Amino acid sequence: MANIFPRWTNWLPIKVLICAGVAVTGLTGGVWYYFTPKYTRVGYMPSQPVPYSHALHVGQLGMDCRYCHSNVEVSSHANVPSTQTCMNCHAHVKAESPKLELVRKSYEQAIPIPWVKIHQVPDYAYFNHAVHVARGVSCVSCHGQINQMEVVWHDQPQSMGWCLDCHRAPENHLRPRDQVTNLDWKPIDSDDPKELAAAQLELGRKLKAEWHINPPENCAACHR
Amino acid sequence: MKRSFQHPPERLNGRKYWRSLEEQAASPEFREWLDREFPAGAAEMEADGVSRRNFLQLMGASIALAGFGMTGCRRPEGYLKPYSNSIEWVIPGKPLLYATAMPRRRGAMPLVVTTHEGRPTKIEGNPLHPASNGGTDVFAQISILDLYDPDRARPIRLDGQASTADALVAELAKLSQEIAADRGASFAVLAEENSSPTRARLRAELERRCPRLTWAEYEPLRGADEAAADAAAFGRRMRVRHRFAAADVVVSVGSDFLGCDEGGVEASRDFAGRRKDPSQGMNRLYVAEHRYTVTGGMADHRCRLRAGHLPAFTVALAKAVAAEIGNADLASFADGVRIEGTDPALDAAWIRGAAGDLASAKGRSLVVAGALLPGPVRLLVHAINGALGNVGRTLELVPSEALPAASIADLAARITSGGVKHLLLLGGNPAFNAPADLKWADLQKSVPNVIRLSLHEDESCAGARWKVPAAHYLESWGDALSADGTYLPVQPMIEPLHGGVSELQVLAVLAGLKFSTGPGLVRETFAARTGGTMDETKWTAFLRDGLLRDSAAKPVPTAFNGGAARAALGMLPPVPAPAADDAFEVVFVGDSKVDDGRYANNGWAQELPDPITRLTWDNAALVSPATAQKLGIQLDKRASGRTDTARIVRIEAGGAALELPVLVSPGHADHSITVALGYGRRTVGRVGAGVGFDAYPLRSAAAAFVASVAQVELLPESRVHKVAVTHGHWNMEGRDLFREGTLEEYQENPAFAKTMGMDGHIPPNVSLYKTPTLDMPEQWGMAIDLTVCTGCSACVVACQAENNIPIVGKEQVINQREMHWMRIDRYFASADPSTPDPEMVMQPVACMHCENAPCETVCPVNATVHSGDGMNVMVYNRCIGTRYCANNCPYKVRRFNYFDYNKRDVLGKWKPPVLGERSNLYKGPLGPLGMQTEETLKLQKNPNVTVRMRGVMEKCTFCVQRIESERITTRVKAGHSSDPAANLRMPTDAVKTACQQACPSEAIVFGDLRDPEGRVAKAKNNPRDYRMLEYLNVLPRLSYLARVRNPNPAMPDAATKGRINAKAHAAPGDSHGGQGEQGANGDHGNPGGPKADGPRGGGEKH
Repeated sequence: MANIFPRWTNWLPIKVLICAGVAVTGLTGGVWYYFTPKYTRVGYMPSQPVPYSHALHVGQLGMDCRYCHSNVEVSSHANVPSTQTCMNCHAHVKAESPKLELVRKSYEQAIPIPWVKIHQVPDYAYFNHAVHVARGVSCVSCHGQINQMEVVWHDQPQSMGWCLDCHRAPENHLRPRDQVTNLDWKPIDSDDPKELAAAQLELGRKLKAEWHINPPENCAACHR
Repeated sequence: MKRSFQHPPERLNGRKYWRSLEEQAASPEFREWLDREFPAGAAEMEADGVSRRNFLQLMGASIALAGFGMTGCRRPEGYLKPYSNSIEWVIPGKPLLYATAMPRRRGAMPLVVTTHEGRPTKIEGNPLHPASNGGTDVFAQISILDLYDPDRARPIRLDGQASTADALVAELAKLSQEIAADRGASFAVLAEENSSPTRARLRAELERRCPRLTWAEYEPLRGADEAAADAAAFGRRMRVRHRFAAADVVVSVGSDFLGCDEGGVEASRDFAGRRKDPSQGMNRLYVAEHRYTVTGGMADHRCRLRAGHLPAFTVALAKAVAAEIGNADLASFADGVRIEGTDPALDAAWIRGAAGDLASAKGRSLVVAGALLPGPVRLLVHAINGALGNVGRTLELVPSEALPAASIADLAARITSGGVKHLLLLGGNPAFNAPADLKWADLQKSVPNVIRLSLHEDESCAGARWKVPAAHYLESWGDALSADGTYLPVQPMIEPLHGGVSELQVLAVLAGLKFSTGPGLVRETFAARTGGTMDETKWTAFLRDGLLRDSAAKPVPTAFNGGAARAALGMLPPVPAPAADDAFEVVFVGDSKVDDGRYANNGWAQELPDPITRLTWDNAALVSPATAQKLGIQLDKRASGRTDTARIVRIEAGGAALELPVLVSPGHADHSITVALGYGRRTVGRVGAGVGFDAYPLRSAAAAFVASVAQVELLPESRVHKVAVTHGHWNMEGRDLFREGTLEEYQENPAFAKTMGMDGHIPPNVSLYKTPTLDMPEQWGMAIDLTVCTGCSACVVACQAENNIPIVGKEQVINQREMHWMRIDRYFASADPSTPDPEMVMQPVACMHCENAPCETVCPVNATVHSGDGMNVMVYNRCIGTRYCANNCPYKVRRFNYFDYNKRDVLGKWKPPVLGERSNLYKGPLGPLGMQTEETLKLQKNPNVTVRMRGVMEKCTFCVQRIESERITTRVKAGHSSDPAANLRMPTDAVKTACQQACPSEAIVFGDLRDPEGRVAKAKNNPRDYRMLEYLNVLPRLSYLARVRNPNPAMPDAATKGRINAKAHAAPGDSHGGQGEQGANGDHGNPGGPKADGPRGGGEKH
């Protein structure tokens, strides 16, 4: 019988295997990198219906987070402020500004302002703001330097692994309770990241021991 | 607060079916342009100076602004929409609790309702009320679903056309003038019984204007002669109150006081309170009934007899009591009760024993009369209580505020005589449940102007001129009186969802007052009841507490009025003869789930298994095994184990016939058929229409509860009906799961339950698996006290409401796929399975949260894990639906979502080519959307519990959301305090699971095992505590307290009571070394024992 297959097909199985291996590895690596929250979420910066600037109100004017996000210390949900809160000032301050047109319309007609949601926890997981804020975790640990953002973006991946990183080592993010909304707080007066990290660790360990911080790592804490 | 991703409005996504780009931008210019059919576009546009090129540029720019182009590739946007004006007290994410009351037949039930962002999600009892421990019953728990029922009537209709509230108010005002003009001669009102003082006040006002109006009240499940009998015995305007807490001996004559009949939460609580701790002595319960009820299951001694024989039974009991206490008056009173027909054969020894016990507990005993007893017999029961000195001790009389009302028969007579031109129907459903001989549906049609106020568009709406949607009690202002006379508010949590109107609002306008939408009417009543002037502080306290403190009616010292009672005996008609011994009687009973039919459209009610028959989505004719055989049903044929098919029987009574499936019910009286009322509704909504069989046509005013059957016939085998019965599900193979003993046994050996069954000889267990690290300070556990669990199933529905558990529909229940996380296992217990008098016991079963959980080790994806505080945790998003965990669970407490029950249609059916009828669920994503996707039903869901999708396993979580909520609250409090490390432990007994909170008997105890002050630690230390399937060494955290019965040694059947578990191993000569003397709670057969050694019938199912 004549040879059915030409000689070059001898190398075909190996070539297919290597190609497949490279493809699968590439695909896996691609998914690993590009499909994780660290890539897909971080940097998400939708434009909001009202051009509200945290950098102005918080950074420059020095408003505390809790003035608007008033329920963060008592509730699971850190509320976006009602239009009433905005009008507390803006009934008098910049009362005619075109940028605040929607705010005024909302207040007069009692329709909510449709803020675009940036941070989304899945429906099957439950996050509680109050317990974190009350126990010394600052807004900046999860939401980044909001006081420098003109338009808010998603700063941290907020994946389950990222949450567990802190739950397993809360000392990296604990601070005195009265500094929780001070987004510029530093454990020591320094700019060197190594020194800051060391100081944070030392302080965090102390607070963790003092306050009996024991973040749950079992599934029921968040998946109910 | 959870938010779901909202896709932006269509204009951004619309890709199909838009004709042009401008349509999406929807600018006013475009609309104008569109209006001209043939815009000679080019000509006009050129006239405007816009060239084609410019046009495209413009459009391109505006499209980009509108969000087309690149934005179409981005992630969908979600929105956060806060309130524009904050609402007082509402903090999104935290529930608000409001106190209110549920108006009920015999007095309102005080409630506390949990609301989230303005919508009620869960109902609990009000523990501040002196007669309530915070428990509820089935009807209170399911009523929240009625609020959100998408089939509720709407809108207001006049002559079939939609109308408005203003038009209705105008019409009512006009009518008010009209009826005042002729002083109400042409006006009639038919209402339900309601204890509301405001309604009474408005009624009085209305009657002042229209003295000749007819005010009738009708409740299908109330005995017609009850009021007359009570008035004769104790005086007018008196209400009887049973104080079970003071009773050592209770005899129930046909009364289901622990179930849906009378007592409500208070009866269960007080009765259970006297049984909870056998070491402190127990009360004793005798029940005489024709069918098994939850009260009969609790009984220490039960007399099974036909309902028609109950009058004769009562007479015999009275005479026996009279003989024991030497009271000739009572004997002669009993002689005065006229019963037609011959005396039936009764169990004289049983009656003597019961009478003896009653006599020995004079002043501490209680005889309770059921609603189905005729007036003279009820009087006799009062006489017995009087003779025993119970009046004023276990039986109290309180002043009643109820005003006398005409009966529906009186009203029917008036309508027939032609006087009534305007008829107001406030709730109820007379066209469905009025006595059949009144022919109410036709009568109603003869009235020219019928104004009907109802929750659903139902049978009584036919022919009504005005159909007004009623406001549910959770969305209307009102007030009520509880059974003990305490004044309660009914306050709304939400504006009427469908523009509903309450009774009080309608009556106010008719009485010439303004249409009131706020609490104005109730405030006036409140002011009148609290000293004449309005005290705002008291009013606020009233609303906050949910009751007016210390307003309970004071008992009035009264004696049984023998003379008046005798006179009444003479005036009341004699008790009709019972059916002949070989003929049948049919007994109409209220259903434990749909009541008299009002909850027929409630999915939770339909799917809840009936406590006794475990029947769902149907009613059936219940007969005893002997009667079934007589009718021709072959019982052994059913030994194949299939419980889903029933033969059909045809019953003729009261001039009408009914064909319905027949269920064999152990413990039922012979020649007696029980049919539950309230099913077979024709018009109510998607859930209830056509479900079950309507027994009301057989029911006449004369024979409202017990009727003689003209003919009963079993239809041929070709006529069968599928019945969804759950007691064949998850069979536990008759192992020693339920343990009980007698008080005697308990006193000899309090830990008798710990060595029953296999537990008597387990070798020390060594586990191959590592037990999980239990490193948290709290360790959760639960104990269920079987001595006081009646099986009422309030816990099952409470769990369903709290945890967003879906209903699955009848077909899926037949396939054993009901989703209730907690189930009640009902066992009949007897030494000999063919005995006509088995005992009945109830055992609630939920996830045991085993420390060595067999389910955790077999999950391939680790979706079920053990938490450090001892709970078996279920992670829904990780579950891939292998179902190995459910397979491995020895208690079969895991539930799998075979279909998307929350989205797909569970009610509808279709016929695929080969398979026969299937539910729409099998169409999967191609099937229609279910009723559960209606917006209103979504409002009921608890936002703190995940709603599960198809393919995911679920089970009881020990209400982990409540535990976490309490844990968070504790930590937040600590964080806000000066010392964040102090008080990190949760307060004792701070967390109550939904089932625990709902249980009126306090049978379920949950809490922290490590807290010695906590109730559950004490329960676990109770010697009666045992765990199911202990020998498996799964170390369940849920344990049971064995049931203790208190049989009377003087009774003839005392030897067999409560001894079913004894002698589990019957073989004589069985050598288990060293096990000699074991006493009555034996786990090994004592050859010399006096008791019959029979197979343990613990797993008796049929």
